Amino acid sequence: MNPDAPPVVALRDVRYVYPSGDVAALDGVTLEIQRGQVLAVAGQNGSGKTTLTKLLNGLLQPTNGSVAVLGRDTAGRRVQELARHVGYVFQNPNHQLFARSVAEELAFGPRNLGIDEAEVAARVAEVADAFGLTGHLGAHPYHLGFPIRKLVSIASVVTMRPSIMVLDEPTTGQDHRTAGAITRLLFGLRGAGITVVCVSHDMELVVAVADRLVVMRTGRVVAEGTPREVLADGATLSATRLRPPQITRLSMALSGGMEGPAALTVQELLRDVRASGLDRVGGSG
Amino acid sequence: MGALGPSIEHVRGASWLHRANPVVKLAWLVGTVFFALATYHPVPLLVASIVGLAACVSAGIGGAVGRVLLIFAPLAASILVIQTLAPASCAAPCAAPVALGPFDLFPGGMTHGLSLAARILAVEVVSLGVLMTTHPSDLFAALARMRVPYLLNFMVSMTLQLVPILQREVANVLAAQRSRGMRSSGFGSVIPAFVPVFAGAFERVQQLSISLESRAFGSSGRRTSFRRIGFGPMDVVLASLGLVAGAAGVVAGIVLWNADRTAGTTLPPLLVVAVFVVAAIVFLGVIAAGIRAVLQA
Repeated sequence: MNPDAPPVVALRDVRYVYPSGDVAALDGVTLEIQRGQVLAVAGQNGSGKTTLTKLLNGLLQPTNGSVAVLGRDTAGRRVQELARHVGYVFQNPNHQLFARSVAEELAFGPRNLGIDEAEVAARVAEVADAFGLTGHLGAHPYHLGFPIRKLVSIASVVTMRPSIMVLDEPTTGQDHRTAGAITRLLFGLRGAGITVVCVSHDMELVVAVADRLVVMRTGRVVAEGTPREVLADGATLSATRLRPPQITRLSMALSGGMEGPAALTVQELLRDVRASGLDRVGGSG
Repeated sequence: MGALGPSIEHVRGASWLHRANPVVKLAWLVGTVFFALATYHPVPLLVASIVGLAACVSAGIGGAVGRVLLIFAPLAASILVIQTLAPASCAAPCAAPVALGPFDLFPGGMTHGLSLAARILAVEVVSLGVLMTTHPSDLFAALARMRVPYLLNFMVSMTLQLVPILQREVANVLAAQRSRGMRSSGFGSVIPAFVPVFAGAFERVQQLSISLESRAFGSSGRRTSFRRIGFGPMDVVLASLGLVAGAAGVVAGIVLWNADRTAGTTLPPLLVVAVFVVAAIVFLGVIAAGIRAVLQA
């Protein structure tokens, strides 16, 4: 990531009011996302997270302000045009899946982009392999369990090879194994230089993969920084009712005997405990 | 994502129509339905529609009702065009047709078409006025108060609540498919959009029925209800007024505005041509849009 490079996504003083509502879902949001960055968006339900992400691929157009993707304003641009650059994975996979087989589902997006069949077949095989879906390619998506369906819905967007991926609550309702697969997938996307915007309540996921965390409340960005910076801000946590990962809360509870910021991972906590000598307290007594 | 197209759901508000007793509103709706079915002449039906529309506008739901009524325009146009060109019903012998180029326009058929369209319009306007100003729970309680069998009442209420949910579902699914580069209109969008919606709807209904049965839905014995609808003396008067007005409308409809099916012959030829041309433009416009959508797919 080059911090001096122009942002791939730039929101300037964006306000959005739903046609049927009288409340601003977004109110004066200014945000820049750098190429290759994994940005997590957190906040309570109704804080504007999903509305924010729907502006990125043109599903919504701002009421005021501007949204630029890859240097071009999204105003007047069609979703289908932006889909080439911005892949969007919806929270509910059932909203996406319709084809008679997983292979057809994975091929749907690339075909819409006009990619030739040989290339589509190659992409389907490659992505199916990466997602562990090769054995399911002939299966009907609705005959698969929910976790696998979720993977299919993500894979069906990855085959389009967008430079920006938006994932709305990717781990919600997932079993431990699929959540782990999704975490590894996000690492993979980051490794491939793809910019990722991930809306999530799952703080373990956020801490594991995000370079930057944006916290929203009533349509505004109320905090942003690295997950470590944001999760160390007690006032923000209290105001937005964000709960840090369990290990971080344990670290905070033990912080009386330890130095430095709260741990975000088990390894960090172990290191801090050992460094502070707390691991020997039980044995000495 | 908002709902797809105009939505038939409760619109929050505090107007006189919102505050009116749901039982009273249902009484007026029942009166209107019987009046519309008993009346053939389009003029009193159109008057009833205008009065209903005025009530909706005064309640602040004119825009919402208007958007739903727009869907009705192609249907009304098709009824008028088909009935004017090939009347299914007119007094024998049919009134002399008005010539418009190669077409023979039958005034009796147009009257019949106007009558059918006006009946639908009158019932639709008043139904929308009631549905959009009555909270579904109040509607449920009001129907129960009117001694509608519980199962039927529940089915009506659930169906009405499912319509906006399905509309939102369609909007979400279309958004998801457009995000993968799918064209947003045309015949080609039908399968990618509607397979998930129908699959979701079946799943929802299945889960709902299991959930209901697991909470003793359908058990015997008298049910209690948290929500109660008051029914004071004024409400009795107003509800009775609605039913009496409906009954009077039925009598007037049968005696004054029903029997004479040759009334269409009194339509001036110029009016017949003007109404036909407008209806034909709307009708052909819808057909052209349909053909264009198929060709685009």
